Amino acid sequence: MNVVVCLRAPPPDPEVDTLARADALALGHALALGAGDHQTTALLGGTSMEAGSLRLALAAGVERAVRVAADDMAGTDFHTIGQLLAIALRRIGADLVLTGARSDDEGLGAAPAAIARHLGANYVAGVEEIAVVSAGTVDVVARGGGRKRRLRVKLPAVLTIAAGPAAPRQRPPRTGAPPAIEVIPLSDPEATVVRRRTELLGRLEPASRGVETVTSAAALVAALDRR
Amino acid sequence: MAGATVYAIVMSDREIARAVVARLGRAGADKVLLCEGAGLAAPALDATHGAALQAAVERVAPLLVLFPAGGAGMALGPSLAARIGAAFAGAADLEATDAAGPLADGVGRVVLRRWRGRRAAYRRLDPVEIERPVIAILAAGVAAQQVGSEVIDVDVIACAPPRGNTTSEISSEPDDAAAIPLARVLVAVDPALGPEAVTRIAAAAPPGVAVVDRNRSAAAIAASAPEIVIAIGDVELSAMGTPRGRLGAILFGDAALPPRAVDVLWRLPATALGDELWSEIGEALSAFASKDVS
Repeated sequence: MNVVVCLRAPPPDPEVDTLARADALALGHALALGAGDHQTTALLGGTSMEAGSLRLALAAGVERAVRVAADDMAGTDFHTIGQLLAIALRRIGADLVLTGARSDDEGLGAAPAAIARHLGANYVAGVEEIAVVSAGTVDVVARGGGRKRRLRVKLPAVLTIAAGPAAPRQRPPRTGAPPAIEVIPLSDPEATVVRRRTELLGRLEPASRGVETVTSAAALVAALDRR
Repeated sequence: MAGATVYAIVMSDREIARAVVARLGRAGADKVLLCEGAGLAAPALDATHGAALQAAVERVAPLLVLFPAGGAGMALGPSLAARIGAAFAGAADLEATDAAGPLADGVGRVVLRRWRGRRAAYRRLDPVEIERPVIAILAAGVAAQQVGSEVIDVDVIACAPPRGNTTSEISSEPDDAAAIPLARVLVAVDPALGPEAVTRIAAAAPPGVAVVDRNRSAAAIAASAPEIVIAIGDVELSAMGTPRGRLGAILFGDAALPPRAVDVLWRLPATALGDELWSEIGEALSAFASKDVS
């Protein structure tokens, strides 16, 4: 089974590679599924300057890291992101795709549904637990409608991860150097069908809000509840 | 809003009770669209409910599709947006505007406003301007008001079961965190502060205020869009709440805070940690009880 974790590009930091907490949860689940029968791949859309999360994923134990070369994913609508990543996921041959909940730059959490739509895959949001049942099926735990449910999901599937694995598993240390990050260029003829619809993000407006400093719990509550 | 028709979409496996229809009418619905089909009374999933919701939405060609906080928004909203090519907002405020636009004179407009990730800016979504529907999840804590009539029509859409059984329920139990996404006020506590912090603060919190451990309730926090958020200790704050909401933080020592991350900050020395502080915070939360909380 090919398990792919979609990571976001964190703000570029020349000093330290960082992984968003939501992405770390998704990566934790992927690694917890165990090696052997599964190949785990980390996927990211962005520039080479934004590949830090892929390096971290390789260090954590994924077998493969792939970057879709794109200059401005941060300002791209989720439909386009979904289409781009779906092209890469088809290339990789993904069976199970994991993403952080609301981990895109806009904080929407909509790109995974767009990926699922373009892949023709199942989509389940807010997953807390994953267990592989067979090569084509996983069991997941998700909440909704006042119930905590265990669901059997046929693959391919895209799951957004809302909580960490119950038993994080460390993979054995890699012997030798980690593999190089593979690149899928946007000049790929298959990717040129992508049509950006950035207007769907909405019009940008400045948010000029200052920070009020207080010195007691009562003052904090009063300041927050002020209308 | 002049000229707007409000449809309430209900999914069920049977006819809905007259009392439910009356309640939806009182809340402002002009009409109910009942998607009736096997399995639709179960909690919503894209695999089981997505096609039915799409059928209902395409029948009325809406400008806006709104999900309540704590509802099926994250399960169905993004996939509906992907299916129909709509915009999406995971936590948004609904605003009426009289600003000039492409519509005929006298027709009011509604727009949505959401945070851009990390509270860097707002995004304003006007379905007329972008010429696509907008799908959004609203913030928790809006008090119900009687604004409409109890007597409204119900249109029934017969929904066939989805082709192929791709997702099925194996077991289910009551969700002990179901109240968290419905809370008007969410207090998220860093587990590194110790279990006593959540216990003591929660003991004094009034109804409508959820006090939760950041890790243990991560899924419920991710599904939340509260009106007011208070983060205690190291809690990632991005994508929580709506622009109309307020965000506060209680930090210890010289813990870093990203720019524009919060509206109100209380910084304490690390030596202040302890039961006395948790009790003070819990007691302060009682001020929220005077508000109309749901």
